[in-house]
Amino acid sequence: MVLLAGCGSGNSSKDSSSDSSKKSSDGYKVAYIARAQSDSFAAWLANEVVAASEEYDDITVDVFDGQADDEKENAAIENAITSGYDAIIVQPNNGEAQRPYVEQIVDAGIIAITTNARIDGIEGASSVDADPYVQAAVNAKLALDQIPDGAKVVVLQGPSGNFHADERRKAWQKEFFDKRDDVEIVGEQIANWNKDEAVQYMEDWITSNDHIDAIISMNDNMAAGALEVVTGKDEYKDILSYGVDGTAEACLLIQDGKMTATCLQSAIDLAELNLQTVHDLLTGTEKQVDTMIEAVLITKDNATEFVEMYKERGLLDE
Amino acid sequence: MNLNILKNKQAKNKFMETFSIFIVLLVMIIICSILNDKFLSSNNITNIMKQLAVGTILAYGEMLLIICGMLDLSAGAVLALSGVMSVSVFKATNNLLLAVVVSVIIAVICNLANAIMVTKFKAPAFIATLAMMTVARGIALLYTKGQNILQIGKYNVFGQGKIGGVVPVSIIFMVVITIAIWYILKHTTFGRSLYAIGGNEEAAIASGINVVRNKYIVFIINGVLVGIAGVLFMSRVNAGLPNGAVGYEMEGLTAAVVGGTSFTGGVGTTLGTLAGAFIIGCLNNIMNLIGIDSYIQQIVKGAIIAFAVIWDIRSKSKKTSKVILVDEDPETKGTFARKAS
Repeated sequence: MVLLAGCGSGNSSKDSSSDSSKKSSDGYKVAYIARAQSDSFAAWLANEVVAASEEYDDITVDVFDGQADDEKENAAIENAITSGYDAIIVQPNNGEAQRPYVEQIVDAGIIAITTNARIDGIEGASSVDADPYVQAAVNAKLALDQIPDGAKVVVLQGPSGNFHADERRKAWQKEFFDKRDDVEIVGEQIANWNKDEAVQYMEDWITSNDHIDAIISMNDNMAAGALEVVTGKDEYKDILSYGVDGTAEACLLIQDGKMTATCLQSAIDLAELNLQTVHDLLTGTEKQVDTMIEAVLITKDNATEFVEMYKERGLLDE
Repeated sequence: MNLNILKNKQAKNKFMETFSIFIVLLVMIIICSILNDKFLSSNNITNIMKQLAVGTILAYGEMLLIICGMLDLSAGAVLALSGVMSVSVFKATNNLLLAVVVSVIIAVICNLANAIMVTKFKAPAFIATLAMMTVARGIALLYTKGQNILQIGKYNVFGQGKIGGVVPVSIIFMVVITIAIWYILKHTTFGRSLYAIGGNEEAAIASGINVVRNKYIVFIINGVLVGIAGVLFMSRVNAGLPNGAVGYEMEGLTAAVVGGTSFTGGVGTTLGTLAGAFIIGCLNNIMNLIGIDSYIQQIVKGAIIAFAVIWDIRSKSKKTSKVILVDEDPETKGTFARKAS
């Protein structure tokens, strides 16, 4: 089931010259450098990239693990350049740390794509991404009308310095907190995208505050962790909670009425768009592509649709 | 120098060595209760204990290993592996007991592998368990394809359930394990032999202690503890997280060291480790309650660890210094050398 067209804001320039085609006798070899296979979203994206590549007879994808370490990710990029891949897709651990290495890919005449998150401003490199600001902003705009006057809220942040974490927090500030002076942040901590850290923070926050009206989380994992703490407590049965990613767990929670909203950052769409982009670049249909998947808001109204998608993918039980 | 004065001084030093950690904890509790009036509420104390359960159980394993001159860097990764396997078994069988048994067995197998590397191949525990950390995490990620295992049903009873609707199950686990470890260390020959092995392994061998067997047993006990911690952790977060518990071995090590367990081996107590865990737990809790910034929290935690290690080094250097005394008591007059306590 394909949920999104997935390329709503793309910019591309066409090049019909057959010279730009890089096909070898065995088809195109593509290296995918994942940020960290231990990161559940990055692992999901890597799995989906491999799955999406099966739709293309002329493409084979090899996945390499950056292990959430700039040095290891950079080494993986250098190795991929040396190994003679036709295209290299990089999911950066830290955009600025990988920038010179992505430039090396371009300098070597190899097709370079940065994804989730993109690295801006590299001449000759393409990008496929989701806009983290928009992903949080769609939640923040919804929350403007939902979070009550004088509400007390808690905020769970992603890792410091992470592009997506910072952009999402920025969106909440600009689209919500700057417009709602009446809302008080009674707790804000970095939970590093982790569910277990969010559990601990929320346990402490419900102790130090008489009431909390909303959980504002920069990803679904942390939102689910915070919700775990208040589940079954009558005084928190109406708590609002917002996340980003549209994970299987979040969709289930929204469907069950326990979570308010999230924005889908679909690994499936990102993967399909990455493969479509790399194929277009390899075959010479496009010369450079900068595109993004859509930011789809998931609420109780449409959560079931996504739960079904996850069931079909085997990520949720039937 | 008068012997009585010296004896008094020694007794005072002994008292401080034994109880200083509890005095620190008490002072910390008083300060925390002043900083936030909800700190001593029953809800908050329960929170702290629930948050401590996994870390404390891991800390006991680390303490036993450190006492006999080893350590375990693989605890967090093995916890993740045994936890996700346990969750999977529960999803397949709906049998809670079997899920716990599987978690413990897997953690024990990993620790047996550690023990073999350390005892048979003479690999330093640091290296052996570092290797196991990578292997265990890799298997957990491979098995789950890096994805969280969701919809785990009643499995969450261990981490979120309450006995009689009041006492969290995880706290019961922590208390029972604390008593068991205390008994093993204090009242069994095996427990006492660990101090001998950590104090001087060659002397322990010479005195007839089966060092290899005891090292195996320590790793097996550590495996049991890690397996139980795996169940509690996954149950608490209501999911099987293959990338969960990263760095938890450091939490265990920190609690043990802050609680007076010495990296030189041969020193450490169950109650000291429990106090160390509470100090870390109270510190985390109060910083969250009063809303201290994440970055400052890291600095404070680091400073506490540094303080604990320096305290440990200083107290050990005092302990091992030889004091040459000229006894002026006419009944015992003479020159003798003894260790200051």
